[in-house]
Amino acid sequence: MLGPRMQELLSARFVIVTGKGGTGKTTLAAALAQVAASLGKRVLLAEVGPEPEARSPLRAALGEEGQAGSIEPVPAGPNLWTVLLTPEAGHRAFLRDVLPLGFLADRAMKAEPLRRFLSAAPAFAELGILYRGLQLVRAEQKKHVPLYDLVVLDAPATGHALAFASLPQVLLRIIPGGPIGRAAREGIALLHDPKHTRAVVTTLPESLPVTEALELAKGLAQSNLTVHGVVANLVPHDPFTPAERSALSNWTRTLPMLGARTLQRLERARAALARLEAAVGSVLMVPERETRGRELVSAIAHDLAQAR
Amino acid sequence: MSTSPDPSSDRLAALLRDKRVIVLCGAGGVGKTTTSAALALAAADRGRRVLVLTVDPARRLAEALGIPPHADAPTRVPEELLRKAGVRPGGALDAWMLDPRIVFENLVKKLAPPEKAKAILDTRLYRHLTELVAGMQEYTAAEALHTFAENQAYDLIVLDTPPSRNALDFLDAPGRLSRFLDEGIVQMFLPREGGGLLRRAGRLVSSVFVRMFGETFVQELQIFLGAFSGMFSAIRAHTEGVRALLGSDQAAFLLVSSPETAALHEAHFFRTQIEGRALPFKGFVLNRSHARAATLPHPSELTHDAEVSQASLDKLKPLADRERSQAIADAQVLDELRSRAGAHGLAVAAPHLGDAVEDLSGLHQLAQGLLPERPSV
Repeated sequence: MLGPRMQELLSARFVIVTGKGGTGKTTLAAALAQVAASLGKRVLLAEVGPEPEARSPLRAALGEEGQAGSIEPVPAGPNLWTVLLTPEAGHRAFLRDVLPLGFLADRAMKAEPLRRFLSAAPAFAELGILYRGLQLVRAEQKKHVPLYDLVVLDAPATGHALAFASLPQVLLRIIPGGPIGRAAREGIALLHDPKHTRAVVTTLPESLPVTEALELAKGLAQSNLTVHGVVANLVPHDPFTPAERSALSNWTRTLPMLGARTLQRLERARAALARLEAAVGSVLMVPERETRGRELVSAIAHDLAQAR
Repeated sequence: MSTSPDPSSDRLAALLRDKRVIVLCGAGGVGKTTTSAALALAAADRGRRVLVLTVDPARRLAEALGIPPHADAPTRVPEELLRKAGVRPGGALDAWMLDPRIVFENLVKKLAPPEKAKAILDTRLYRHLTELVAGMQEYTAAEALHTFAENQAYDLIVLDTPPSRNALDFLDAPGRLSRFLDEGIVQMFLPREGGGLLRRAGRLVSSVFVRMFGETFVQELQIFLGAFSGMFSAIRAHTEGVRALLGSDQAAFLLVSSPETAALHEAHFFRTQIEGRALPFKGFVLNRSHARAATLPHPSELTHDAEVSQASLDKLKPLADRERSQAIADAQVLDELRSRAGAHGLAVAAPHLGDAVEDLSGLHQLAQGLLPERPSV
């Protein structure tokens, strides 16, 4: 039985996992998706990328090292699919929705001027990715039955995530009419509804990452996205009592030795986490582990399922 | 600090001494911004006038350098702060977090006559365009590089690229823009005279565009592009100039990575991207590693005073064991990077400084750890 906070999160249709690079976004997104899939939900795990040929970090996290991302959803386990959101797939999907005949969209995508425009104009790549994501969230297997109960997005790092979040509103101001305006309004309705969309911010138990996570959460909230919570990843195990810690710190400070670096890190982690908790209330802590790949994803999924 | 026979740190020092542009690429969270700032500081310490330019919208660099985060132009790091951190006089360090809005505005003002510049900057489309920050950093980084490389105020520019898969997008985005701005293509969007094939192609494009964007936007776009049209060749020339500079022997590309598998994968991916574009790849900086800790003593080999209980020592030992095996593994990673860097490339491991690298003296310490002992000036 899931804790109420996790239940609330997984009842959304679209969960955006974001944070600074190196905070374990991808692994955490995969673990969240695995929890939902194990509850019988049909889950699509999405990543963002410019080109499909490159190695997919998401598939690597799921144990498929070296695999490229796929533009169409591919199975990754029971009830679980992965997909790569590319600008081009979004542009094509948009044209197909807008133009009366599918083949016209394909022809338009081949038209050099349009292709050049879409790849050159600032923000059109991001718009394509967003459109593709929302298309998959809204996809139905039959009338009123969604194709995926939940789409989990391994979102781009901090700066780009903020730009993404504010994109539909800016777009609506620039192009209020036509199908783009309509798409922007639909996008906003979905992104701003806390029942539909929730963001999870990942961070590390270190000073600067905590500061940046707090800024990111604030920025996302300013774009009217519901920030469900902050996850501190790679939290080191601290075996020491306060007295032991202070005695050891004094000793290792006077003499360079192995182990001193870990001690310092434990002290920094305690301070950073205390500050994070003071700012946002409860923080989900994911312990540091030796394992990697799918095993790590499963271990974190277990943590998430147990979280209270 | 041990002086190793490895020539990597000498090579890094030579880059800081000789190059005009150093570009740092790497995955997010590997300390790219910190490394950029430290290398810039080291070049200033060696008497050069340096600008460190970050495309990363995060505020780290400004914080570490003690400059305001949303400045209109590069800010000089105050002399007395540099002195206090141990940096020698003679050089100078400026820093700027790239602001796309300002780069664009300066470009328009520089290229268009005053009344036309005002007309462009006043269009509704332009004002909103600069709000679309997504991707704009990439579009303006090359233009900013052009401006600063041209004005001779700096001997060296250190560029910190954005933490995304498309870190080199700052090179490609202006190229895409200039291909689009290719007069022939743009003509299709503009109110047309004449006829023939171009006109028919134009009609097809217009009809798709009107369907997609709506009539009002397409009209605005036409006006905007019309106002811009005289500037295309200059923008293209700037982009090509930057591309030529970055491809020349005055530039160097460095990859920053942590020892994590994923970050190393990204680094090797970036390298193929850099070399695929015939840009001068020079080597690796390994951050967040234990590579330099292998020679540290284990706590069980040391005598300790009565304050340290046996129980706490027993708890410390496994942590030390782990650090030792980590140090061995990371040293192997460094060796591999060295051999991958090739006979003339470099691979250096940053010293471990804990959380000290949050201010100027931390950056200075980091740079000193990466570089050979300073020659006296």
